[in-house]
Amino acid sequence: MALQTLEFEFKSANTQSISKEWSHHGVTGSGDMECLMEKKDLGGGVKAKVVTPVKGFDKVWEKMIGKFVADTGVGNVSIEINDDNATPIVVYMRLRQALAEATAKEAE
Amino acid sequence: MKSWNELENSSFFDANARERALGMVDKGTFTEFLGPHDRFTSPHLPVLGTAVEFDDGTVCGVGLIGKHPVFVVSMEGKFIGGAIGEVNGAKMVETIHLARKVAKEIQEKHPDDYAERRPLVAISFETGGVRLHEANAGLLAHAEVMDAIQDARHIIPVVAVVGSKVGCFGGMGFVAAATDVIIMSQEGRIGLTGPEVIEQEMGKDEFDASDKALVYRTTGGKQKYIVGDCNYLVEDKIGDFHNALADVVTIPMDEIEKMRRIGSQKLVKEQQELVQLVADLQPGDSMDLWKHFGNEDPAALPNMTTADFLKVVKRRVRP
Repeated sequence: MALQTLEFEFKSANTQSISKEWSHHGVTGSGDMECLMEKKDLGGGVKAKVVTPVKGFDKVWEKMIGKFVADTGVGNVSIEINDDNATPIVVYMRLRQALAEATAKEAE
Repeated sequence: MKSWNELENSSFFDANARERALGMVDKGTFTEFLGPHDRFTSPHLPVLGTAVEFDDGTVCGVGLIGKHPVFVVSMEGKFIGGAIGEVNGAKMVETIHLARKVAKEIQEKHPDDYAERRPLVAISFETGGVRLHEANAGLLAHAEVMDAIQDARHIIPVVAVVGSKVGCFGGMGFVAAATDVIIMSQEGRIGLTGPEVIEQEMGKDEFDASDKALVYRTTGGKQKYIVGDCNYLVEDKIGDFHNALADVVTIPMDEIEKMRRIGSQKLVKEQQELVQLVADLQPGDSMDLWKHFGNEDPAALPNMTTADFLKVVKRRVRP
């Protein structure tokens, strides 16, 4: 019944962090999620914390976030996710969007 | 996130709570209170296995319109239908209290040009009312918001801004009614019991919630504008809501008081007369009411653009 908290750590080949100190993207809507990315000295690695009502998908989360880290080469970032039943592909898309936001220059 | 310039030309209806908050005030002036980075989530939702959000579904903060501090509360309809619980309710209450305290400070520091600096509270409602998961805490939040609005009365304008997908229903429908000024777009809706709930309780013959045209004729911005439940009807653009707020900041408080719909014996009487009129007319549809207020061709009104509508519409004349 209670919410699940999952924590993962990834090693990144790259130590390319985000440009902003922290950045937020998305809304915890039904079938959606929000993501908070924060610059952190993790020796190049990535830390992820997922809070979700869904049970039994720990491996899928690990794979999806792992793929995101591998594909983007992002490092020294802590990722916090509040999820409300987002599907894996939505998770991947939101992470890419959140990263774009976190690396974007201040908008005019 | 869109830039401020893009936001001004964007649909208010489609925008999320943070985009609305940013775009309702002048460029680059918005500062958020208890934003996502503060991670102030609801303590009640995790035990129920319900997903949480870092800002608890409501964006609060302050920006400027000219020299006027504008305290913003903006609700996110995608998170539990924008429902109000303990944390986001408290954020809302404290934002209104803060606006009142700031007004007092500015009055002391700038007595000569206070009129140019008088604060304002703008609440962008997108909510179904009480967050049922939080039961009493959610109800209490509603009561406290009502109190906060009453405390701010005659001091600073509290403005309801309604033009989002979920509309403004349930307990927050009462709260919107208790504000001084209401700004709506034709896409905005205000009511107490939502269309689906009326249909569920009273049947499809009473109210067909799948008939969108009927729903908008009954609860939408145009109906509210004709009857006098809202003060401004604007185009569905964040910039247009911003401009309407820029108009309200300049209005003296005694004029603001006249824009209210409830809150005095005189206004109760006015509302009772309206109820009596409806009882006498027995309208089968909002359009019967529109005709009564002098609109010769009420059926043409729903499909008009806001600009055309504003040119031809006849509104209820307030006593």
